[in-house]
Amino acid sequence: MNNLAGNLLEELTVQYLTIPIGGYQLRISESVVVTWIIMAVMLGLAIFLTWGLKVDNISRKQAIVELIVTKSEALVEDMIGEHGKQYAPYLVTILLYLGMSNLIDLFDMKLFGLSLKPPTKDLNVTAALAFMSIILIEYAGIHQKGVRGWLKSFAEPVAIIAPINFLEIFIRPLSLCMRLFGNILGAFVIMELLKMVVPVVLPAFFSCYFDIFDGLIQAYIFVFLTSMFIKEAVE
Amino acid sequence: MIALGAGIAVFTGIGAGVGIGIATGKAADAVARQPEAEGKISKVLLLGCALAEATAIYGLLIGIMCIFFLK
Repeated sequence: MNNLAGNLLEELTVQYLTIPIGGYQLRISESVVVTWIIMAVMLGLAIFLTWGLKVDNISRKQAIVELIVTKSEALVEDMIGEHGKQYAPYLVTILLYLGMSNLIDLFDMKLFGLSLKPPTKDLNVTAALAFMSIILIEYAGIHQKGVRGWLKSFAEPVAIIAPINFLEIFIRPLSLCMRLFGNILGAFVIMELLKMVVPVVLPAFFSCYFDIFDGLIQAYIFVFLTSMFIKEAVE
Repeated sequence: MIALGAGIAVFTGIGAGVGIGIATGKAADAVARQPEAEGKISKVLLLGCALAEATAIYGLLIGIMCIFFLK
């Protein structure tokens, strides 16, 4: 049992990539490196897919790209409503990033001596994402209603619940951050335990649920909640 | 004692389980009555499940933190 906990703790500790610059050691944590890899893959895909777009006689590649873009934007615009349409590209980007980062555990590779683990199991990453979300939500409210209308919206529907509405500014990002982090960390811990106890066959089936289904659902829920809050703020 | 504390923290799962169970039951009911509204119902169900599940996740987090950080 002690051995199991020790192995698990080893998997959970954040690894660092050290780059020597002059006399100093630059320590870059694993989630940043994995995020860079995801960024490189996404950027490469985006450049490859948008190379040589045409208006007439579109190629098969372009048809697929147009399908992906229109479907994903329609998905988010459906959630965010009429007034918040300009925020859809940001939310689609977050959806793609979260989807990829939650699925990256499927690739059991080592790059620069670091194994690929989902960056969302690092609390700092989800906290940063939730922070960006709440800034966007409040910005959307101010942009739509003006500072006055935004301040007034705290006193709706009754003035007496204004403190509770004010507290929501802090509760919303906390809950967004903890939900994503807890789900991914929980799935990661369960998968690691399972791999230690039964290393063959069984993890493959559980991985379908914990890695693929849960990861994609959580990415969707993060974007869904953010867009719902934005919709609430702009209406 | 620490293991006991972690075990008690995971009791939050009861609430989430009951909540998601009720929500899914009602959603199945609603789809049976109005099959054409399935898209909207499943969206609301997903949202409700996400919010109900959060309590279980907090319990799990506290359980994990108890085991690893209280030594």
